[in-house]
Amino acid sequence: MSQPSEQATGSIYDLGYRRYEGVRLGRRHAMAAIYLQGLKGAFGIGRRTSSKIIPIVLAIIVMVPAAIQLGLAALAPRDVAVIKPENYFGFVDIILALFCAAVAPELVGRDQRTRTLSLYFSRSLLRSDYAVAKFAALVTALLIVMLVPQVLLFGGSALASSDSWAYLQDNWRQVAPIVGSAVGIAVFMGSISLVIAAQTPRRAYATGGVLAFFVILRAVGGILTGTLSGDYRRYSVLMDPFIILRGLTTWIFRSAPEGVIADVHISGWFYLLAAVVVAGVSLALLYRRYQKVET
Amino acid sequence: MTTTQATPAPAQPGSPAEPTMEVINVSRWYGNVVAVNDISFALGPGITGLLGPNGAGKSTLLHLLSGFLAPSNGRVEMFGETVWRNPELYRRFGLVPEREAVYPFLTGYEFVLLSARLHGVADPKAAATRAIHEVDLEDAQHRAAGGYSKGMKQRLKVAAAIVHDPPVLLLDEPFNGADPRQRLHLMGMLRRMSAEGRTILFSSHILEEVERLAENVLVIVSGRLAASGDFHEIRKLMIDRPHTFRLRSSDNRRLAAALIAEESVFGVELEGERLSIQTADFGKFALAAPRVAKNAGVTLLEFVPTDESLESVFSYLVGR
Amino acid sequence: MNTTIFVLTIRQLLGRRRAFLMAAFGLLPIGAAVIFRMSAPNVDAQRWTVVVLLNGLVVTTLLPLVALVFGTSAMGGEIEDGTAVYLLSKPVPRWQVVIAKLLAAWLATSLLVGLSTVISGIIAMNGAPQDGIVIGFAIAMMLGALVYTAIFVLLSIVTSRALIAGLIYVFFWESVVTSIFSGTKIFSVRQYTLGVARLISTASTNTFDSRLDGNEALWLMAAVSALAIVLAVRRLQRFEIGEST
Repeated sequence: MSQPSEQATGSIYDLGYRRYEGVRLGRRHAMAAIYLQGLKGAFGIGRRTSSKIIPIVLAIIVMVPAAIQLGLAALAPRDVAVIKPENYFGFVDIILALFCAAVAPELVGRDQRTRTLSLYFSRSLLRSDYAVAKFAALVTALLIVMLVPQVLLFGGSALASSDSWAYLQDNWRQVAPIVGSAVGIAVFMGSISLVIAAQTPRRAYATGGVLAFFVILRAVGGILTGTLSGDYRRYSVLMDPFIILRGLTTWIFRSAPEGVIADVHISGWFYLLAAVVVAGVSLALLYRRYQKVET
Repeated sequence: MTTTQATPAPAQPGSPAEPTMEVINVSRWYGNVVAVNDISFALGPGITGLLGPNGAGKSTLLHLLSGFLAPSNGRVEMFGETVWRNPELYRRFGLVPEREAVYPFLTGYEFVLLSARLHGVADPKAAATRAIHEVDLEDAQHRAAGGYSKGMKQRLKVAAAIVHDPPVLLLDEPFNGADPRQRLHLMGMLRRMSAEGRTILFSSHILEEVERLAENVLVIVSGRLAASGDFHEIRKLMIDRPHTFRLRSSDNRRLAAALIAEESVFGVELEGERLSIQTADFGKFALAAPRVAKNAGVTLLEFVPTDESLESVFSYLVGR
Repeated sequence: MNTTIFVLTIRQLLGRRRAFLMAAFGLLPIGAAVIFRMSAPNVDAQRWTVVVLLNGLVVTTLLPLVALVFGTSAMGGEIEDGTAVYLLSKPVPRWQVVIAKLLAAWLATSLLVGLSTVISGIIAMNGAPQDGIVIGFAIAMMLGALVYTAIFVLLSIVTSRALIAGLIYVFFWESVVTSIFSGTKIFSVRQYTLGVARLISTASTNTFDSRLDGNEALWLMAAVSALAIVLAVRRLQRFEIGEST
């Protein structure tokens, strides 16, 4: 350290190093930045072409049923509606699961691999902020993937029908359920996928884990409803995440239940409850996972 | 270009008549980016250092030499055979890759044994034991490699690469992250192997290591071969760069005045206690300086050429 | 085929966590069979076994997923973490490397899925006429495992996203596309497997939901496996370490 000497005390004429005196954007900007980066990363924007292929291809596949329905509507003599907004999810459920399995690891895997989490959390960003921002990004991505086909379907059907204006007048009430059910699906699938993907930095494990969750529970649910009887059977239907979502959608649209949902005939509130519980638990676990990160 | 050769020729002065490794007009590009740009050289027994800043193409060149990258142009040969798609050639050389990862569930001994078996060595267990002894990993050899420190993993990689007693050894940044003791140990080992007649090529961006270890240097900058050979010789070839000497004497100012009259001197600078001389002609000045000092009645106390180090050579090459 | 690499890969594939997970997976059909036995006396055991258990659960879900996990990690794991260099910088012909890895992945998959099939099938069909169903499916599974693992090993050499690509193949192509466009059945390993199962067992064919004739299926299996192996060897011979890690 400094000694009492005749030597002059030093000064640094350091023209290179400067303190930052400007505005420090706070938490909200950090969250917004993470959200935007997550959303862009989900579709591979700003990365190599090969990261864009899978999400874009899957998003296009989700639009196929809409295209098919429009094709049918254009060719058929009378108004025929095979694929409707209320049963759209049933056609694309596994594709959405694949999308989650591909995208969730991209969102939360990289930060774990490169150990930047400690860096993030040594700033004003709270851990909950990080989790919320990533979650919002995944939900938004899923909403985009789900709503674009719905818009296509709705607009296309209006154009294809003999009287577009009348079609709109008859069907405008569908808009709220369409958006509502899409939000519910996105929140449900997004929370589950994110919490599973956040457990491991390795992409293969995260992808496999997310998909395994959906697929195995669907298989198990199918087995149980196929083999059990009575009340066990009725509620075993809730094991299958896709059934929960289909039940939820049917309830939101107040439409006629189909398939196994019609079979078991349980109140729509159960589906809502199951969905809320699962999403809530997932988000709580996600929050806890990031609380454990040391700075 | 300031070297005496306009383009690098395939055989440099001092390169062996029958080279172990030969790289002839090799280029490698990825789309628009040229990673290695028309490089030619030949190497024989002894230690050669591949020196360059990060991103210059050292790893690319090593991957090309070890058969893990195909040249977009040109030929890469070892023992006269093309390296690309020639697994048989691996019998005759060993590769120490840069990446740290090893099989975490194998013990150190098992890892080297695996290497020995895959090389088809006559007595794999004996060879593995020997190699482990050579790199001084005997204490830890029965622990899982996943728990090794960085330096231990490095030694393990070297052991796996020498287990089949190859005449050629390629090492990609072998001293990266090594502590001084490990560095000394590895350098000693490489010198021993070189004395046995093997051809060793290692890459580094740390000048001191290359200076200390390599008899021969390949300097690669932005994908091009900037210079090759002994670095003192390279320095001498850079005639457009002034040589700098640092002098201390009994009367600097008088010496300075006397020296500026010398033909070979074109710059003199007084820096505190020392005198800094810029000269175009290294040899001439070295002979003239004592004479001038004596005639001026000044005693020379210190006489040091300051940019003879590899660092200054390197910075000149990179700065071009 | 190289014994050293084969043994190494088996050790890799059956390392603690993965083995546990796969074993738990394999217990699912067994669990389902047990539940079935305990709770549904009226359902036709044979029909349930074929349709729900073996077709629905094992062929559709268990077989491809296990093959995917073992197939993509056999070679893909080393390529991803950088240890592939150690295997490939040896005087071992690349075809030997591929075959050794493939055999290891196939063995692990067949063992797991085969055992799961046999045990769950026997439990579920206890008493009902066998008609070679369990045997038929077990053999078909093992052959199907070969084709699946060959494809997935090839995928893991060609791309770093082999897992998701394989998942899309299984859950989109094989589930959705082949059920809609029946012409694509010749490109579906699931259909090959079902075809072979139908060929071997003597039960009435309408419970099987397979669209390929048994002999066709065998030929296709051989052709696709051979093609996948050849392509995998070719690609591995031209293996390059990329520009950056």
